[in-house]
Amino acid sequence: MILSVENLKVVYRGVILALDGVSLEVREGEAVALLGPNGAGKSSLVRAVAGLLPKFEGRVLDGHVRLFGQEATHLDPVRITGLGLTAVLEGRPLFRYLTPVENLVAAGHRLSSRELKEGMEEVFARFPRLYERRHEQAGYLSGGEQQMLLLGMALLTRPKVLVVDEPSLGLAPKLVEEVMRTLDALRKEKGLSLLLVEQNARAALAIVDRVYVLERGRVVFEGDAQAAQEDQDVMEFYLGKEEVGFRQAKRYRRRKRWV
Amino acid sequence: MSDLLPYLIGGLANGALYGLLALGFVLVYRATSVVNFAIGEFLLVGAYLTYTFALFLPLPLAMLAALPMAFLFGLLVERGFVRPLLGRNVVAVIMATIGLAAALDGGVQLLWGPDLKYLQGELPQLGFQLGDTFVPSRAVWNLLLALPLGLGLLWLLRKSRYGVLVRAISEREVAALALGIPTARILAGVWGISALLATLAGALLAVASGVGHNLVFFGLKVFPVAILGGLDSVGGALLAGFLLGVLEALSGRYLEPILPGFTEALPFVVVLLVLMVRPYGLLGERQIERV
Repeated sequence: MILSVENLKVVYRGVILALDGVSLEVREGEAVALLGPNGAGKSSLVRAVAGLLPKFEGRVLDGHVRLFGQEATHLDPVRITGLGLTAVLEGRPLFRYLTPVENLVAAGHRLSSRELKEGMEEVFARFPRLYERRHEQAGYLSGGEQQMLLLGMALLTRPKVLVVDEPSLGLAPKLVEEVMRTLDALRKEKGLSLLLVEQNARAALAIVDRVYVLERGRVVFEGDAQAAQEDQDVMEFYLGKEEVGFRQAKRYRRRKRWV
Repeated sequence: MSDLLPYLIGGLANGALYGLLALGFVLVYRATSVVNFAIGEFLLVGAYLTYTFALFLPLPLAMLAALPMAFLFGLLVERGFVRPLLGRNVVAVIMATIGLAAALDGGVQLLWGPDLKYLQGELPQLGFQLGDTFVPSRAVWNLLLALPLGLGLLWLLRKSRYGVLVRAISEREVAALALGIPTARILAGVWGISALLATLAGALLAVASGVGHNLVFFGLKVFPVAILGGLDSVGGALLAGFLLGVLEALSGRYLEPILPGFTEALPFVVVLLVLMVRPYGLLGERQIERV
């Protein structure tokens, strides 16, 4: 098992319960989507597996995170990335005052100079637009370019499992598609495992094998991508396949309690 | 003109020390957003360390020996006073540095006594005749040490991989952590370097004016210098140091006869004037705002 989360409970400031017993796993070479609406606890899960909860005044109350079979619940981020998990947090967490080149240098801090140079060439070969703007401040790149830079940075940390939080946020539909395609290509090429956290379920479902749906800190659906597409509720409420009237929404709320 | 030159040289010599100290101050501010009110006391501790080493070592060696101790001192301060407060309100850390300043003031006097002390031994004479002006050894030493060190540090911060990491962390610590960058270790190093710079400035100052509590007042000058340069600009700190040093010297020559005591206020007046035109300071960075 590459990544497994067992019965994880997370609180912020000691009182705000963000995750209420979440279990999920990502197997070797697998792409998994974690879907859910705003405030469902998706980002909390990302922070928890990346060891970043303390930076957000949060902590793990109960449960475990295991990385490559190793207990990783309370490890610090430096150790976790060292083991091979890299998380790309939400909100385009790049260094806006640094140039793309410098961003990549920062990301590749573990690499030798030669590895870094080769890695950077690889990233630039893949994203020619970044190469053109490699000496401008990254804060002035477009949203799509920033997302590409972030993927490039993640690659330079040499991950075995990549956790990406809402890469589609604020991007035009066409760019979302491009980001997803890139993510998919990278994963297959590098043999990575992927945990893709998204609100844009349609985009995510196109490139993953399995799906978890999170709501109010709990997993309310779990299954392969095919099953998710066929599941009436998931389709209606996360993919917006059919118009959802108020009456039906109420029905759904009622049903969900028993999941 | 030949009348002016000695003042200019004296101003540059002082400015080099302002620059060094402000460099240490700004480095910490940029990397950790902590306003270190104890920077003057760093200088004081550094000067006393040098004094102590100079009791049994030749002065140049003593100055050298004090540097690793100063680095260690910076690490200790970071561990003891700054890291436990990280993530709290920034004001908490700032208050802690004020407390630290008071404690160091007292501690230094307890250890070394309240009276003014003079360093034993001296630096090799490097003074020389420039036309009909004599460039004093002190000025040569100050510039010789401060300039390469300051510019070298600037270069390191701009170009080296370590410098990129420092700048990355200073901009977005969480993002740096998510990439697995050992932020705690790197930030501790920044505090160490800051203390090291202050110590060198303190030692050079002590060569000229002895070691005593008066050095803290020199430390106070770091605030106008750093603000003038742009609080987050390392290069600006160096530049502003030289600028204020020279302005002070000129003011001492030309304004002091008309406005006695004005030189003391001059740095602050200059800061006020410059900030009206350039609110970010001379070389301060403009914020990227992109919606």
